[in-house]
Amino acid sequence: MSWDAFIEGLRSFVVWVMDVSSVPILVYFVLINTSLLTLIVLAYLEFRAQQRRRASALSWQGAGLAPGVSLLVPAYNEEAGIVTAVKSFLTLRYPRHEVVVIDDGSTDATFARLEEAFDLVPVPRELPREIPVRARVLGVFVPRDGRTRLVVVRKENSGKTEALNLGINAASEPLVAMLDGDSILEPDGLLHVTRPFADDPTRMVATGGAIRPVNGSRVLSGRIVRVEMPQTWLPRIQLVEYLRAFLLGRTGWSRLGGLILISGAFGLFRRDVVVEVGGLDPGTIGEDFELVMRIHKRLRDEGRDYRIEFVPEPVSWTEVPVTARVLRNQRRRWQRGLWETLWAYRAMLFRPRYGRIGWVALPYYWLFELIAPLLELLGIIIVPLGLLLGVVDVPFAVLFLVLAYGYAVLVTLAAMVVDEWAFHKHDRWRAIWQTVASSVLENFGYRQATVWWRLEGMWASLRRKKHVWGVMTRTGFDEDPA
Amino acid sequence: MSAPAGDPDANPVRVLVADDDADIRDLVEFKLTQAGYAVEAVPDGVSAWEAFSANPPQLAVLDVMMPGLSGIDVLRKIRESDFAGVPVLLLSAKSRDSDVDTGFAVGADDYVIKPFSPRELLHRVNGMLARAR
Amino acid sequence: MIVGAALLLGATIVVLGACLLLILGVIAVRARRHSRSKRDEMLLSPLRPPLITVASGEDDDGSAAEELTWATGVSRTVLDRNIADLLTKIRGAPAEQLVRVLEVHGAVDAAVGDLSSRSSVKRARGAQLLGLARAAHTVPLLVDALRDESVEVRNSAAYALGLIGDASAAGPILAAIGVPDRGLPAATAAEALQSMGVGISEVLREGLKDENARTRMVAAHLSGERSFTRGLPELRHLLAHDPDVTVRETCAVAIGRLGRGEDADVLARHTGATEPLPLRRACVTAIGELGEPGAVPTLAGLLGDPDPRLAELAAGALITMGAEGRDALAGHEDDAAVRSARLVADLQKSAA
Repeated sequence: MSWDAFIEGLRSFVVWVMDVSSVPILVYFVLINTSLLTLIVLAYLEFRAQQRRRASALSWQGAGLAPGVSLLVPAYNEEAGIVTAVKSFLTLRYPRHEVVVIDDGSTDATFARLEEAFDLVPVPRELPREIPVRARVLGVFVPRDGRTRLVVVRKENSGKTEALNLGINAASEPLVAMLDGDSILEPDGLLHVTRPFADDPTRMVATGGAIRPVNGSRVLSGRIVRVEMPQTWLPRIQLVEYLRAFLLGRTGWSRLGGLILISGAFGLFRRDVVVEVGGLDPGTIGEDFELVMRIHKRLRDEGRDYRIEFVPEPVSWTEVPVTARVLRNQRRRWQRGLWETLWAYRAMLFRPRYGRIGWVALPYYWLFELIAPLLELLGIIIVPLGLLLGVVDVPFAVLFLVLAYGYAVLVTLAAMVVDEWAFHKHDRWRAIWQTVASSVLENFGYRQATVWWRLEGMWASLRRKKHVWGVMTRTGFDEDPA
Repeated sequence: MSAPAGDPDANPVRVLVADDDADIRDLVEFKLTQAGYAVEAVPDGVSAWEAFSANPPQLAVLDVMMPGLSGIDVLRKIRESDFAGVPVLLLSAKSRDSDVDTGFAVGADDYVIKPFSPRELLHRVNGMLARAR
Repeated sequence: MIVGAALLLGATIVVLGACLLLILGVIAVRARRHSRSKRDEMLLSPLRPPLITVASGEDDDGSAAEELTWATGVSRTVLDRNIADLLTKIRGAPAEQLVRVLEVHGAVDAAVGDLSSRSSVKRARGAQLLGLARAAHTVPLLVDALRDESVEVRNSAAYALGLIGDASAAGPILAAIGVPDRGLPAATAAEALQSMGVGISEVLREGLKDENARTRMVAAHLSGERSFTRGLPELRHLLAHDPDVTVRETCAVAIGRLGRGEDADVLARHTGATEPLPLRRACVTAIGELGEPGAVPTLAGLLGDPDPRLAELAAGALITMGAEGRDALAGHEDDAAVRSARLVADLQKSAA
């Protein structure tokens, strides 16, 4: 076959692919962005209702109806920040809460710092084994003052998920909050995120709090004292992403009654329900997602009347990756966790018993979160190829791209308007321009890179097909300790 | 209204007031100024801590619920500072017993619950200073 | 192709135009907020000195309050909103003076009218103002508002009723919790009920028999908080038979607070291994709260329980029960649960 013939063949192939795929891709683009826009409108409606509640004079106290909370803080080599973090957690505004630090076999001075700061003494306590934990417990410690509600549990290193499970065992309050040791919580964040439990005490089983990137903001004594935009574009773009997907997306899902994802960076659960479903699964990558799915499945299977809600008030602030390498790891892990959990719970799709979870939320995630990278990849390959081969009308292609990405920008800007209207966290005008610029810049490079990383994540899990596609998705450990 | 204890010719007793709510801030400032105190009023926890460390007052009135650093956070920092002995009064929302508990655990000397009576606040400030002497 | 291109171009223009609109939208939202607060500040600034004077209780001759009543038009609206806000923060004589200013302005009558407004924001604000002004004659209207279609109005009505504190509203508040799809949030209801007098104990007792679990939960919780012993028989019944385990746990806590000697046995019945673990733990804690010596054998029997927390709770309860309780620890001194409970008790004692 001659070179010309090859080019000719390739050309007709590309033309064929474009003929076949252009309409589906366009439809897909419109669908995904329209559904995002719908979620944002739903979020707006939710915010409007909450806004009124907040604007009103009602500061809530709950008359003691808010259940006690155990804050679970897994720590692995966090000597630098652990004491400040624990102090800031202990002084959160809340009627009844304890802090449970699980030192996951740190090799630095994490424990020594805690011991010194809180004058810890060992307690010969045996911890409940409601959730099986394989790692050995090395000791349980409490402050000598007999008053500060802190428990420190030392264990052999076995990863964050097991640390959390052990923390759940050690927790003595009816609610458990799972957070990262480097999370920064709003002083009244707990009051916000427990409110649904006080309002609906017999049905609420889990709530998720809004998480915002902390990069660039001023932090003092474990509190955000001045909100600023991140210094560089990578975290700025993530800020825009968090706004769109996490804050507004999840508020929208929550209003629809189809919330299936609560971030591991701040989730609040009924302890008894977590114990009932067996705790976090140390075998999965996306253990937070998997837990929520397991709760949904179990409670629906048993026909129980329950609620899972998202609280859009800022609760927790977290450091987002500033380098492409760390971001790549994060996104690969997320996609892999998403894929494996969706696959493990595929039987819930389109079953009447699972209601909106089975009919709306799960199909949405399959269609848009899983397949999106594949279709975007196709576009990324075919369009430049077509241009190269001269089978694409250049103005037409440019227009097509402008439309597709313009719609994506539109969705982001809508999220930004709603956020500005409801929360106005950033009070500098510069922040607006940076957000607008980020929502545009996101489409040049960032978007394509994350598509690739997500495909890598899926590929990684497909390669281990045999190990992965079991009943409960066991893959063994390869999780980052942090 | 009762005047603060002490010699009127001497420097007036300095009180730091921190509340993000302009109404309360102005009201407390007014009430205490009328009673002869030298009041410095600030709108948030960070300014409160900055004002405190720049020039420690003889007494501080801190609202618990402030954005950023809460009153309890500021109290915590004061108690860890070189001027840990400065009496602190916390202002807390209605029936937030928990704030009061946490506040005392961190080292508050007294508290007033909102909605509060301005007169009662003044009496408490006077009382705390009298005890501190 | 030509039609396709035109359509594409059109769509692109629409999308980009919408983007531009949204950017303008952000700017408008922000600018409006700034200008509003500026305007309010400007309108209020001449009224601020008298307002602060009244609010701080320094208006001895009433002249500052008098000045406030003269406000008209928009500045009166802004002032009234500010006063309503202040009423959530101060009490005593200054608060009463401010309510009189609102009355002179006709704000209380206007709030009654707002209760039937089409805007849910207005209905909610109206209800709140009536509560803040302690407008006792509007209780029937506020009770109606407990069934409003909008949750913020329901919340506001309950809040207002709590401020007014008229116990006749307790029944409707409790009943409003269980209204299907339009329920009153339990926390708001509990808060409102908590600020009412002892007159509500019978209502709470009735609430314990309600068919809605949230209603029973609130009634049980408040019976315990307020130590209303009248509901004890119902609490005991629910502890044993309620289909909702959260309600059962709440009953255990309540009985621990207000129970009589014989309730130690009632609680002890639910410490057995067949009951859910959280309930067993709640019952052991409640027995400790009661401090009834008759419960010592039950607690002693739990020292060897397979659940280490239950054992430690039992040991902790025995430690607080005087010589009899401590004697029961004999033979278990080396148990982790007992040593741990002892240590914690000692730390707490030396701190007190």
